[in-house]
Amino acid sequence: MLTIPVFLPMLGALGAYLVGRKNKKARDIFADLVGAAEFIVCAALLITAAGGGELELTIPYVCGMGLRFRLDGFRAVYVTVAGLMWMMTTAFSGEYLESYRNRNRYYLFTLLTCGATAGVLLSDDLFTTFIFFEIMSFTSYVMVVHDEKPGAMRAGETYIAVAVIGGMVMLMGLFMLYDKLGTLSFEGMSIALEGISDKSGLYLPGALVLFGFGAKAGMFPLHIWLPKAHPVAPAPASALLSGILTKAGVFGVLVLTSRVFLHDIVWGKLILGLGVVTMVLGAVLAVFSIDLKRTLACSSMSQIGFILVGVGMQGLLGEENTLAVWGTGLHMVNHSMLKLVLFMCAGAVYMNLHELDLNRIRGWGRNKPLLNVCFLTGALGITGVPLFNGYVSKTLLHESIVEYIEHLGNTGAAWPYHVVEWLFLISGGLTAAYMTKLYAAIFVEKPSEPFKEHRSPYMNSLSSAAILIPALLLPVMGILPGPVMGGTAKLMQGFMGAGGQGPDISWFSLTNLKGAAISLGIGAAVYFLFIRTVLMKRDESGRKYYVNRWPRWLDLENLIYRPLLEKILPFLGALVSRVLDVMTDLIYSGLNRTILRRKPIPPRVDEDYEPGDFIPHTHRSYTLQRISSSISFSLLLFGIGFCVAMVYLIAILLMR
Amino acid sequence: MDIDYILLAPILLPAAGAACLLSKRLENPGSRRFFVTALSVLELAACVLCALLSKGAVTLLSIGRGLDVYFKLDALGIVFSILVAFMWLMSGLFSQEYMDGEENLGRYYTFMLLSESALMILCFSGNYMTLYLGFELMTLMSAPMALHTQTKAAIKGGMKYLFYSVFGACLGLLGFFTVNAYGSTTVFTAGGVIDSARAAGHEGFIVAAAFLTVMGFGAKAGMFPLHAWLPAAHPEAPAGASALLSGVITKAGVLSVIRVVFYQFGAGLLRGTWAQYTLLALTLTTVFLGSMLAYKEKVFKKRLAYSTVSQASYILFGLMLLTPMAFAGAVLHAAVHSAIKNALFFTAGAVILKTGKRDVRELRGIGKEMPVTMWCFTLCSLGLVGIPPLGGFASKWYLAVGSLKSGIPVFSWLGPAVLLVSALLTAGYLFSVTVSAFFPGADFDYDTLEKREPTAWITAPLIILTVLTALLGLFPGVISDLAMDLAGSLM
Repeated sequence: MLTIPVFLPMLGALGAYLVGRKNKKARDIFADLVGAAEFIVCAALLITAAGGGELELTIPYVCGMGLRFRLDGFRAVYVTVAGLMWMMTTAFSGEYLESYRNRNRYYLFTLLTCGATAGVLLSDDLFTTFIFFEIMSFTSYVMVVHDEKPGAMRAGETYIAVAVIGGMVMLMGLFMLYDKLGTLSFEGMSIALEGISDKSGLYLPGALVLFGFGAKAGMFPLHIWLPKAHPVAPAPASALLSGILTKAGVFGVLVLTSRVFLHDIVWGKLILGLGVVTMVLGAVLAVFSIDLKRTLACSSMSQIGFILVGVGMQGLLGEENTLAVWGTGLHMVNHSMLKLVLFMCAGAVYMNLHELDLNRIRGWGRNKPLLNVCFLTGALGITGVPLFNGYVSKTLLHESIVEYIEHLGNTGAAWPYHVVEWLFLISGGLTAAYMTKLYAAIFVEKPSEPFKEHRSPYMNSLSSAAILIPALLLPVMGILPGPVMGGTAKLMQGFMGAGGQGPDISWFSLTNLKGAAISLGIGAAVYFLFIRTVLMKRDESGRKYYVNRWPRWLDLENLIYRPLLEKILPFLGALVSRVLDVMTDLIYSGLNRTILRRKPIPPRVDEDYEPGDFIPHTHRSYTLQRISSSISFSLLLFGIGFCVAMVYLIAILLMR
Repeated sequence: MDIDYILLAPILLPAAGAACLLSKRLENPGSRRFFVTALSVLELAACVLCALLSKGAVTLLSIGRGLDVYFKLDALGIVFSILVAFMWLMSGLFSQEYMDGEENLGRYYTFMLLSESALMILCFSGNYMTLYLGFELMTLMSAPMALHTQTKAAIKGGMKYLFYSVFGACLGLLGFFTVNAYGSTTVFTAGGVIDSARAAGHEGFIVAAAFLTVMGFGAKAGMFPLHAWLPAAHPEAPAGASALLSGVITKAGVLSVIRVVFYQFGAGLLRGTWAQYTLLALTLTTVFLGSMLAYKEKVFKKRLAYSTVSQASYILFGLMLLTPMAFAGAVLHAAVHSAIKNALFFTAGAVILKTGKRDVRELRGIGKEMPVTMWCFTLCSLGLVGIPPLGGFASKWYLAVGSLKSGIPVFSWLGPAVLLVSALLTAGYLFSVTVSAFFPGADFDYDTLEKREPTAWITAPLIILTVLTALLGLFPGVISDLAMDLAGSLM
């Protein structure tokens, strides 16, 4: 049963490819059915898990160490989210990709990625996780570069480089972990670590594994690929990359946090620090961006930062970390759903206009109520407005920081966490600001010139349904936080090492609303005082337009990583290698020029023959050379050498 | 022990075949094609039969103490002989289309079969003398394959190949003298044969001799500092022969090192000595150097040859760690690399045959023209980099974990780190080909495309090897468990 979510889409991928070679329409329908089947299977698993069932599966021998899968609440929730996302995006792809080439390839690799992602999420052993993680990295590359434009190819290069480097560094960490613990199974690691209080030897392997998972999650300083790769992929693929593939990375971070470094303060601080930087940086980048999908991608990065803050707080809060656990789990689910809706909305824009620049698309959403509502629920959700889903998880995360500050009391040690709390609220504010920017641009402002509408209706009913259904779920989740969100969180908490009934939260109490209000206030201030003034300029006609004020050179990838990895390190490595390479060759060619040299034999010149000479001059030298290079001459020399050796031996014998 | 003449069958069969090829009747391409293919299949069957039936040993010729030509089959011999016969069959199939219409084909196939025969001698050898004989024969018989095209570069490369190999074999001979003087026998005995009473006081010399011997046989596997012949000779041969030289004949060096280290000098003698550390350092240098130069190389086949330099030293590194797990990883990697490198050279050959392109920068969009070929290339490259679940991943896992478990200072962690850096470079030099092959860019002109897929003579071996790579990745236990058992008796 557990292998179905993994192998069903993989087989479906091959099926879609084969069907697609015959008939494109049939292929689209087939792929949609595979997506739907995947969702149904996952939902069945969720029902099993909600009933308290746990499934376990070990496939021995495969890949040497065997594969191990397990189904618990967390995994069930997450594969269901994954199944939902694949079902919706696949349904959406049919129309979106109509004008693209190589669509067979797209379906093949998207569905393969689906299986691999399910494999990651269901794995119960870091070895298994790694295997599916790598498959996922490579198959998703094809999704990133699908349109093969130069920008996409470059972003793909970054993506694959980060994935490969991340994978290799992670593998090194796994080697070391395996060497130290003797197992990589989640349960086994917990058992092996029981009673070991000194984890200092594990920080290095832990950090290496974190490098790999963090790279996929988009964690600073490995986030570089994310704002580039997500926008260039086709929109349904962007939704998957942003919504679920990053979560596979987070899944790994959670495994480390809950199995290897359970309630570890140092680890918690590390994750918290990285999470805060990712959260703030992503939000700032999103505010500056003037490209619809890039803004959403940067927003993803920022939201991953929020999640990582929750993960960090889990470590810091120790035994009483239920708030952080709930916040982390729910924010993951929320963010997946939100990005699904938002990226598909962006896709609806792109498939009509083939533009993403805010100045070119602005006003396009006017008079399109369906799109407007969907985008709005997404925007309100991600901003954390009460009654929408994001509010619930953000409140929980915020509360967990506050709880830790209270726990520390009025000591000097608490001030960094006050800073964290404020950065958290400010990032929430920036979220509000950039979402307002997007919403205002697309749905409120007037277009600078009328659009040449080619398509009517702008979206077919299947695509509309694919956007609308998840969009409607968002307020449902937000309005009924107790049963829906609480129930989900309770299912998920066991995986992260928390138990019990969970916190008793009055969701809409004044204190909790206050945090959201502060964030929204900051957001309004940033939007009106910064975005509308500094980030917009007036053109000749007096109309405002968006400008990208982010300095071009300020890009970690182009500033440091690319020069280092493309120029400096290969140059040094190649220099050393070349020197070593020619070392023995010098001896060889030296020998060739001296003792092994073969003298060219001059051609026989018969004209010089004169009857008086017995052996003509040239002829004589020719003959000598013939002799000196012949094999019998070599044998003769060998014989002489042999005789000398014999004489020497006899002499020694006689002297004894 | 029973005298078991069946062991001679795999050795004599190709030799006899080579003799038959001289006859006029087989000059007709059709009948030669049939003959070579049938013979390769028979040879593989003979090897499998030997593995199933033979329990004994054969002494063919006795000159004096320790100077017998003596064959004996053991697990290692079975693995390597089947590997050799299988790869020869693949290359034989591939060459049918690739070499079609070339001149001097009779010579090509003759020496191909003679090399196979020499390799079988090496695989079945039961003592040092026979190993040495097989090793030298193999060098001489395979040199004409490298020289085949008779271009200036090929002759230069071939001569370099001979020079380095003969020099390496000389070092191997030194090892023979040393074992003969200080060992109780030169018959391969698990755990080594050095007689501690005789060796007393000469340990320093014996270790030095072992070091030089490993270096000498390592030359065949392209170990630094005797690696330079490999990128000069392998790419110049016809693709089928390059594949065998790179994929299989380098493994003969590996087998010789295993025999010498674990069956003659003994792992215990080398463990913890300067010789082990120096060899580890040399192999790691080679791993990095090969990958780096491959990354910088633009000629497709030469890039693959440098890749072999690097990958073969993964194996030697695993062996020199002298731990059971690393040993299992090394043997597994030998099999995996063999399959992958053959497939990669076949791809390079197929590209040259169909388009004449030799430079990796010219391969844009080739995946659209030769999809099957380039798919195989891609999957095999993934395997070589070590991406699970394909081959290469499990072997690297064993190598790295074995290295960490060995507890050797510095090298225990430096080894895996270098392996991973090299894997990264491998990804750099192989994926760039895949990417430009399958993602030619949005401005690519699809109208000028023509399908150039080679026939089944080329694609079938490619697909078989790719499937084999995947199977070895999924079920590495088939080989690694065997090697692990073996390692138990050796260390």
